[in-house]
Amino acid sequence: MPVRKFHDISEMEGNTWREPGPELHAAIRRVWEFAAKTVELRFPPGVYRHRSIEELDAQTERWAQANFDVFQARKQR
Amino acid sequence: MFGGVALNLHGLARATEDLAIFVAPNADNIARLRAALRSVFADPDIDQITAEDLLGDYPAIQYVPPTGLFHVDILTRLGERFAYADLAAEVIDLDGTPVTTITARALYEMKKDTVRAKDRADAEALARRFKLGDS
Repeated sequence: MPVRKFHDISEMEGNTWREPGPELHAAIRRVWEFAAKTVELRFPPGVYRHRSIEELDAQTERWAQANFDVFQARKQR
Repeated sequence: MFGGVALNLHGLARATEDLAIFVAPNADNIARLRAALRSVFADPDIDQITAEDLLGDYPAIQYVPPTGLFHVDILTRLGERFAYADLAAEVIDLDGTPVTTITARALYEMKKDTVRAKDRADAEALARRFKLGDS
Protein backbone atom coordinates (compact mmCIF):
# COMPACT_ATOMS: atom_id res chain seq x y z
CA MET A 1 0.00 0.00 0.00
CA PRO A 2 1.42 3.40 -0.91
CA VAL A 3 2.14 5.98 1.76
CA ARG A 4 -0.77 8.34 2.21
CA LYS A 5 -0.35 11.76 3.79
CA PHE A 6 -3.02 13.97 5.35
CA HIS A 7 -3.18 17.57 6.43
CA ASP A 8 -5.60 16.74 9.21
CA ILE A 9 -6.72 13.64 11.12
CA SER A 10 -10.30 14.23 9.94
CA GLU A 11 -9.16 13.50 6.39
CA MET A 12 -7.98 10.05 7.47
CA GLU A 13 -11.42 8.90 8.54
CA GLY A 14 -12.88 8.93 5.07
CA ASN A 15 -10.04 6.70 4.06
CA THR A 16 -11.42 3.86 6.17
CA TRP A 17 -14.53 3.42 4.01
CA ARG A 18 -14.52 1.13 1.00
CA GLU A 19 -16.95 0.56 -1.81
CA PRO A 20 -18.87 -2.72 -1.40
CA GLY A 21 -17.12 -5.52 -3.24
CA PRO A 22 -14.17 -7.92 -2.96
CA GLU A 23 -11.79 -5.30 -1.55
CA LEU A 24 -14.26 -4.49 1.25
CA HIS A 25 -14.81 -8.18 2.00
CA ALA A 26 -11.06 -8.76 2.24
CA ALA A 27 -10.77 -5.76 4.59
CA ILE A 28 -13.56 -7.13 6.79
CA ARG A 29 -11.76 -10.47 7.01
CA ARG A 30 -8.47 -8.80 7.91
CA VAL A 31 -10.07 -6.62 10.61
CA TRP A 32 -12.01 -9.47 12.19
CA GLU A 33 -9.05 -11.86 12.10
CA PHE A 34 -6.82 -9.20 13.64
CA ALA A 35 -9.42 -8.49 16.37
CA ALA A 36 -9.75 -12.20 17.15
CA LYS A 37 -5.97 -12.48 17.53
CA THR A 38 -5.50 -9.36 19.63
CA VAL A 39 -8.52 -9.58 21.93
CA GLU A 40 -9.78 -13.11 22.33
CA LEU A 41 -13.43 -12.83 23.34
CA ARG A 42 -15.44 -15.62 24.92
CA PHE A 43 -19.18 -15.77 25.59
CA PRO A 44 -20.99 -18.45 27.62
CA PRO A 45 -22.83 -20.65 25.09
CA GLY A 46 -26.61 -20.79 25.30
CA VAL A 47 -29.82 -18.91 24.61
CA TYR A 48 -30.59 -15.71 26.53
CA ARG A 49 -34.09 -14.23 26.45
CA HIS A 50 -34.73 -10.51 27.01
CA ARG A 51 -37.91 -8.51 27.44
CA SER A 52 -36.35 -5.39 25.88
CA ILE A 53 -33.35 -4.11 23.93
CA GLU A 54 -32.16 -2.49 27.17
CA GLU A 55 -31.98 -5.91 28.84
CA LEU A 56 -30.08 -7.23 25.83
CA ASP A 57 -27.64 -4.32 25.96
CA ALA A 58 -27.11 -4.91 29.69
CA GLN A 59 -26.22 -8.56 29.06
CA THR A 60 -23.85 -7.52 26.28
CA GLU A 61 -22.21 -5.07 28.68
CA ARG A 62 -21.77 -7.79 31.33
CA TRP A 63 -20.02 -9.98 28.76
CA ALA A 64 -17.84 -7.05 27.70
CA GLN A 65 -16.83 -6.41 31.31
CA ALA A 66 -16.10 -10.09 31.92
CA ASN A 67 -13.95 -10.27 28.79
CA PHE A 68 -12.14 -7.10 29.81
CA ASP A 69 -11.44 -8.52 33.28
CA VAL A 70 -10.06 -11.75 31.81
CA PHE A 71 -7.92 -9.76 29.38
CA GLN A 72 -6.49 -7.59 32.17
CA ALA A 73 -5.82 -10.59 34.40
CA ARG A 74 -3.99 -12.33 31.56
CA LYS A 75 -1.84 -9.25 31.02
CA GLN A 76 -0.82 -9.14 34.67
CA ARG A 77 0.30 -12.78 34.81
CA MET B 1 -28.98 -7.91 9.09
CA PHE B 2 -28.40 -4.74 11.05
CA GLY B 3 -25.89 -3.47 13.61
CA GLY B 4 -22.13 -3.69 13.24
CA VAL B 5 -22.16 -6.34 10.53
CA ALA B 6 -24.46 -4.15 8.41
CA LEU B 7 -22.05 -1.26 8.90
CA ASN B 8 -19.28 -3.52 7.60
CA LEU B 9 -21.34 -4.49 4.57
CA HIS B 10 -21.98 -0.82 3.79
CA GLY B 11 -18.26 -0.16 3.62
CA LEU B 12 -16.75 0.41 7.07
CA ALA B 13 -14.67 -2.60 8.09
CA ARG B 14 -14.67 -2.63 11.87
CA ALA B 15 -14.58 -5.35 14.48
CA THR B 16 -17.81 -6.52 16.08
CA GLU B 17 -18.59 -9.41 18.38
CA ASP B 18 -22.21 -9.93 17.44
CA LEU B 19 -24.34 -10.72 14.44
CA ALA B 20 -27.55 -8.69 14.78
CA ILE B 21 -30.58 -9.84 12.85
CA PHE B 22 -34.12 -8.52 12.72
CA VAL B 23 -36.55 -11.27 11.80
CA ALA B 24 -40.03 -11.06 10.34
CA PRO B 25 -42.35 -11.72 13.28
CA ASN B 26 -44.10 -14.89 12.25
CA ALA B 27 -43.73 -18.49 13.36
CA ASP B 28 -42.74 -19.84 9.94
CA ASN B 29 -39.89 -17.41 9.66
CA ILE B 30 -38.62 -18.19 13.14
CA ALA B 31 -38.70 -21.89 12.24
CA ARG B 32 -36.57 -21.05 9.18
CA LEU B 33 -34.17 -19.17 11.44
CA ARG B 34 -33.77 -22.25 13.67
CA ALA B 35 -33.19 -24.39 10.56
CA ALA B 36 -30.55 -21.96 9.31
CA LEU B 37 -28.76 -21.98 12.66
CA ARG B 38 -28.92 -25.80 12.82
CA SER B 39 -27.33 -25.96 9.37
CA VAL B 40 -24.27 -24.28 10.91
CA PHE B 41 -24.26 -25.44 14.54
CA ALA B 42 -25.14 -28.91 15.86
CA ASP B 43 -26.57 -27.44 19.05
CA PRO B 44 -29.77 -28.59 20.81
CA ASP B 45 -29.97 -25.18 22.52
CA ILE B 46 -31.25 -23.77 19.21
CA ASP B 47 -34.63 -25.36 20.02
CA GLN B 48 -34.97 -22.75 22.79
CA ILE B 49 -35.32 -19.99 20.17
CA THR B 50 -39.09 -20.05 19.89
CA ALA B 51 -41.83 -18.08 18.18
CA GLU B 52 -43.72 -18.10 21.46
CA ASP B 53 -40.94 -16.04 23.05
CA LEU B 54 -40.01 -13.83 20.10
CA LEU B 55 -43.62 -12.97 19.32
CA GLY B 56 -44.50 -12.68 23.00
CA ASP B 57 -42.68 -11.39 26.05
CA TYR B 58 -39.12 -11.81 24.75
CA PRO B 59 -38.67 -9.83 21.51
CA ALA B 60 -34.87 -9.95 21.96
CA ILE B 61 -32.92 -13.22 22.17
CA GLN B 62 -29.18 -13.70 22.24
CA TYR B 63 -27.76 -16.99 21.04
CA VAL B 64 -24.16 -17.92 21.78
CA PRO B 65 -23.02 -20.92 19.71
CA PRO B 66 -20.97 -23.71 21.33
CA THR B 67 -17.73 -22.12 20.10
CA GLY B 68 -18.40 -19.14 22.41
CA LEU B 69 -16.64 -16.80 19.98
CA PHE B 70 -19.52 -14.44 19.20
CA HIS B 71 -23.23 -14.00 19.77
CA VAL B 72 -26.24 -13.73 17.50
CA ASP B 73 -28.70 -11.03 18.57
CA ILE B 74 -32.18 -11.82 17.27
CA LEU B 75 -34.91 -9.17 17.40
CA THR B 76 -38.54 -9.09 16.32
CA ARG B 77 -39.14 -5.55 17.48
CA LEU B 78 -37.11 -2.75 19.00
CA GLY B 79 -39.11 -0.94 21.64
CA GLU B 80 -41.88 1.18 20.22
CA ARG B 81 -39.63 2.82 17.63
CA PHE B 82 -38.86 0.05 15.19
CA ALA B 83 -40.69 -2.99 13.96
CA TYR B 84 -39.65 -5.30 11.15
CA ALA B 85 -42.01 -3.60 8.69
CA ASP B 86 -40.41 -0.21 9.38
CA LEU B 87 -36.93 -1.20 8.29
CA ALA B 88 -35.84 -0.51 4.73
CA ALA B 89 -33.49 -3.19 3.46
CA GLU B 90 -31.41 -3.97 0.42
CA VAL B 91 -29.69 -7.12 -0.80
CA ILE B 92 -25.90 -6.99 -0.68
CA ASP B 93 -23.79 -9.61 -2.39
CA LEU B 94 -21.21 -11.11 -0.04
CA ASP B 95 -18.90 -13.29 -2.10
CA GLY B 96 -21.86 -14.70 -4.00
CA THR B 97 -24.22 -14.94 -1.03
CA PRO B 98 -27.13 -12.47 -1.05
CA VAL B 99 -27.42 -10.84 2.37
CA THR B 100 -30.55 -8.84 3.18
CA THR B 101 -29.16 -5.82 4.98
CA ILE B 102 -30.69 -2.70 6.48
CA THR B 103 -30.07 0.34 4.27
CA ALA B 104 -27.49 2.91 5.34
CA ARG B 105 -30.29 5.44 5.92
CA ALA B 106 -32.31 3.06 8.10
CA LEU B 107 -29.20 2.04 10.03
CA TYR B 108 -28.46 5.71 10.64
CA GLU B 109 -32.02 6.30 11.87
CA MET B 110 -31.73 3.32 14.19
CA LYS B 111 -28.41 4.34 15.69
CA LYS B 112 -28.53 8.12 15.86
CA ASP B 113 -30.64 8.54 19.01
CA THR B 114 -29.43 5.57 20.99
CA VAL B 115 -27.74 5.67 24.38
CA ARG B 116 -24.55 3.83 23.53
CA ALA B 117 -21.65 6.01 22.46
CA LYS B 118 -20.47 3.54 19.83
CA ASP B 119 -23.90 3.64 18.15
CA ARG B 120 -23.82 7.42 17.99
CA ALA B 121 -20.31 7.27 16.55
CA ASP B 122 -21.53 4.81 13.91
CA ALA B 123 -24.43 7.16 13.10
CA GLU B 124 -22.05 10.07 12.67
CA ALA B 125 -19.82 8.00 10.39
CA LEU B 126 -22.82 6.92 8.30
CA ALA B 127 -24.09 10.51 8.09
CA ARG B 128 -20.74 11.74 6.79
CA ARG B 129 -20.20 8.89 4.38
CA PHE B 130 -23.70 8.83 2.91
CA LYS B 131 -24.44 12.53 3.40
CA LEU B 132 -27.41 11.78 5.63
CA GLY B 133 -29.31 14.13 7.87
CA ASP B 134 -32.49 13.97 9.84
CA SER B 135 -35.40 13.14 7.58
